[in-house]
Amino acid sequence: MKRKLQAFAILLVFGVLKLPLEQRVTHDLRTMHLVDAPLHLGVKGNMGQMGLAAAFGGLRGLIATIFQLRAHVEFTRVNWAQVDKYYGFVTELQPRNARYWEEASWHMAYNAASYYLYNKELKPALRGQLFHDYVQRGTDILKEGLKLMPDNARLWQKLGDLHWNRSKDFKASGDAYLNSFQHGGLNFTERFAGFAYAQSNDPASWAKGYAILKKLYDEKKATPGLIEFLKMLEQNLHIPAVQRIPDSAPVRQTPDPQAGPLR
Amino acid sequence: MSQASPSSAAAGVAPVRFSPKRVWTLAYATMTQLMRMKILPFLLLFCALVAAMGFGFSTINPEQQLSQFKTMSLGVLQVFSIVFGIVATALLLPKDLEDRTLYTILSKPVPRFDYLLGKLLGVLMLIASGLVIIDAVLSLILWLQQSMLLNAAVSQLHSENQDSPEAVAQMREIVARQGLTWNLHWAVWAIFLKAAVVTTVALLLSCIASSTLFTIVITFCITIIGHGHAMIREFVFQPNLGSTATRISTFLLAAICPDLAQFDVVDSVANGEIVPWAAVYEMTGIAALYMTVYLFVTHLVFVEKEL
Repeated sequence: MKRKLQAFAILLVFGVLKLPLEQRVTHDLRTMHLVDAPLHLGVKGNMGQMGLAAAFGGLRGLIATIFQLRAHVEFTRVNWAQVDKYYGFVTELQPRNARYWEEASWHMAYNAASYYLYNKELKPALRGQLFHDYVQRGTDILKEGLKLMPDNARLWQKLGDLHWNRSKDFKASGDAYLNSFQHGGLNFTERFAGFAYAQSNDPASWAKGYAILKKLYDEKKATPGLIEFLKMLEQNLHIPAVQRIPDSAPVRQTPDPQAGPLR
Repeated sequence: MSQASPSSAAAGVAPVRFSPKRVWTLAYATMTQLMRMKILPFLLLFCALVAAMGFGFSTINPEQQLSQFKTMSLGVLQVFSIVFGIVATALLLPKDLEDRTLYTILSKPVPRFDYLLGKLLGVLMLIASGLVIIDAVLSLILWLQQSMLLNAAVSQLHSENQDSPEAVAQMREIVARQGLTWNLHWAVWAIFLKAAVVTTVALLLSCIASSTLFTIVITFCITIIGHGHAMIREFVFQPNLGSTATRISTFLLAAICPDLAQFDVVDSVANGEIVPWAAVYEMTGIAALYMTVYLFVTHLVFVEKEL
């Protein structure tokens, strides 16, 4: 009996001593992005996350993958509501995995939206409405992901792509690309921010776009596209002739790549 | 007035010391005993399953396919190692009692601590061997798949006239990050550490409990609680939450259970995160600490156990 009491006492003393150590190790692993930190989702959201973490333990990734496979099956059946539902589970199980947010958004804003846009069985007005709704759903998914990971360059880039390719909101696209670049995105995102601002219908955005593209030009990072947009902005912003770049705008050899969902 | 124990008083026999060789013999015997439980065919089946999974996933993009493969394989590996650790350990003591092997061993000059350590090492050696084999198969398949998917993705970019150096470099970077890296082996190491801690807890419970089923069920419960340990701890550290009774019971739970979520790096590895050496040291250190203390407590319980 004496040894059993000793064992219990040791277990308790160790239990007390280990708590701060566990707290420190968990903090370190969270700092290294290896262990998920609790999300700031409010009481209800946190309860859900706590339940999921406790119920599935270290198997949340596995379960998320199973749901993702289910979503893929529904994608092949062109059942968009189910795809959205399953990706909802996936992103709830793995909220810090940017890839899942990106894929969920891609399915809605590209696949589902295009499916309805080109569906000849539907009336034209309904096709346009559904296209718009699904593009908006894709945008919302990315924005939801960005609330949890505001410094994720990849999600910002995808939001920029989405605004550029689908909603044609070039100001929002430019902002998203610029955010991507400022959060460590690839170099082309800065150039794309300039291109997007150049295509917007807002003079303040033109000025932003001009500043970005001129800086890249001065840094000898000019591409044919960059020169073309820079020439366009010089004209739109009435830049004095002496400050204009000496290059002439390149002549387009290919059809307009913008032909797409709005054609 | 203190009284010398009969064994030490008898003919002045020197106390039997800890012997690594003896522990090794016991561990090897335990491993052989477990191998006879048809573990190898199960391992082969698992390897075949991993191989099939590697090429069976849908391909939307290479990154998704590689990540799915890693998540599924590592997740299944985690389940395999924990279930095996708990069940094998829970069966060991009752089986030795039933076969009377325990009496044969302990009637010889074998300290009970050596016996316990030998049993634990035997189970851990078998788990480690299984994980090494599966890790090798997993790495091979991932490497093959990585090369195949990269070639396919680059040729697709080429056929769509999208193979700008930036696009190809981005694709290469994504595939390399999701492909075979050292991080995969660290994830397997983390799985082993978690299984080792759970196995030690199972050994402790099997010394306390009288039935195998009780050991298995309670160890599974502790495993589940262990994954939510960070949240329990946060509750304990909040001064104004819950009644006193709730706080005391929560504190006891936090004190007794190990924090198993510290070894949950699998999801991050599957997402392409890099595991630094500091993280490996911390995980290994805390696992070693859990195992040492739980084994010592197990020894204190077992040394007094009526057999």
